[in-house]
Amino acid sequence: MTQDIKIRVANLNFSYRDRTVLQDVTVSFAGNAITALTGSSGVGKSTFLMTLNRLWENVSNAQMKGTVEIKLQHRFRDIYAPDLSVTELRKMVAMVFQVPNPLPMSIRKNVAFPLKLSGERNRGFVGAKVEHALKMANLWDEVRDRLNDDARTLSGGQQQRLCIARALVLEPEVLLLDEPTSSLDQASTAVIEELLIGLKDRLTILIVSHHPEQVIRIADRVVEFADGTIVSAPRT
Amino acid sequence: MKKCRELVAERAFLLSALASSSITVAILAFMVFMGLPLMRQGGLYQLLLKPWAPYQGSFGIYPMIMGTGAISLLSLLFAFPLSLGCSFLIGSIAPKPAGRGFRRLIELMTGIPTVIYGFVGIFLLVPIVRELFQRGSGLCILTAALVLGIMITPTMTLFFCDSFDRIPRTYLDAADALGASPVQKLLYVILPAAKNGMLNGVILSLGRAVGDTLIALMLAGNAVRVAESVLEPARTLTAHIALVIAADYESPEFRSIFACGVVLYLFTMAVTFLVRYLSFTKDTTV
Repeated sequence: MTQDIKIRVANLNFSYRDRTVLQDVTVSFAGNAITALTGSSGVGKSTFLMTLNRLWENVSNAQMKGTVEIKLQHRFRDIYAPDLSVTELRKMVAMVFQVPNPLPMSIRKNVAFPLKLSGERNRGFVGAKVEHALKMANLWDEVRDRLNDDARTLSGGQQQRLCIARALVLEPEVLLLDEPTSSLDQASTAVIEELLIGLKDRLTILIVSHHPEQVIRIADRVVEFADGTIVSAPRT
Repeated sequence: MKKCRELVAERAFLLSALASSSITVAILAFMVFMGLPLMRQGGLYQLLLKPWAPYQGSFGIYPMIMGTGAISLLSLLFAFPLSLGCSFLIGSIAPKPAGRGFRRLIELMTGIPTVIYGFVGIFLLVPIVRELFQRGSGLCILTAALVLGIMITPTMTLFFCDSFDRIPRTYLDAADALGASPVQKLLYVILPAAKNGMLNGVILSLGRAVGDTLIALMLAGNAVRVAESVLEPARTLTAHIALVIAADYESPEFRSIFACGVVLYLFTMAVTFLVRYLSFTKDTTV
């Protein structure tokens, strides 16, 4: 499989409270593919994911060394360079967490939230984007009549799809997912897996997963972590 | 034996609860009883809405109610933005160790006796207000409200900080992951999610401002008339009680302070019920 490289990570080291979490990680990820990050608990998969959109910077006593470059708007950019703000980066490299985290607001406002952060005020445009994102997340038909309901009233699977829709509304180039189905039942998991497979033509997807069956079902590539480093990765 | 001990402890707690609630009710009954002759004589309307002119037989506490309202509400106006800024600094902007240190300082400030704030106000703020506005002695509503605002700021700040701390981590993670700036996170996530707790803080701080005696007594000028501007002196209900009780014992003037007590009591009760109501109200969508 020959695909363009989307993410280049070199000599990445990460420590938290003097404990080494990631050690000398060098890896590349192909664009428009689903790459599964596997390995047992505590080997640094989620931390690695957080280094790709700088979310670890909210954690005190954490340190990172190395370079992370992501091809954004057709050119590779060092995501830790001063000319790229965290806010801009996170709009292009979106993240979905293990536990669905809808904000305490309506379904519509949740999905429109990133647009609000970007200063978008045109109601017609926002409405269209919300609808488009919900359709991409296969949620539109289920919520179209209750867009003003509190998002927390949705089921767990629906909440996670809402979070994916919210992450997609700004049309990011990379989607990071940290065990997005671990708190969901089989049926909801299947819906989300189908959704991710459908999205990979538009996005580069990195997913942390503990389920070998899931990896087989959805991943194009697998990167395996052990003790803070990569033990097997495909050539890109 | 264990059951017997538990029973004794249970009864002791019940007795304490009954005693404290009875005392609270008894205080209200006592104040109403002591103020009753004056209320009968002039009626509640006269007492609450007439001016204070004891030599003309008028013992209305209307100017004091207005003075209390003006000073406490103005102090709230000063304290709210200060508290919001402090709590946001502690919770979001400052590095964690600095935030913790700042919080300890704020906690320390809640323990400073009111009279110290009053002294600082008299020696520092009163001359500044007098010079700045060139009007009156500097003992006025503005001065009292400024110092009272500074005094209630630590209480309000700690309430705000606690409300911010109670916001689920998932909300903040979601905002961070979506690229919200610290200010956007404050405006769109933290403030809406913490609004009930913050409202509790504002109401309790208002209660503290209304109940404070010394600052108003030392800095408000204690004039028994309704002030027309914040640069004029005024007297609060608490200051009125302190001043009358210091000079009198048996006259109708003295009886009138029980009406002040009833008004303060009812206000405190209303504040308590409001806080209870808000505490039980589930958090709502933004």
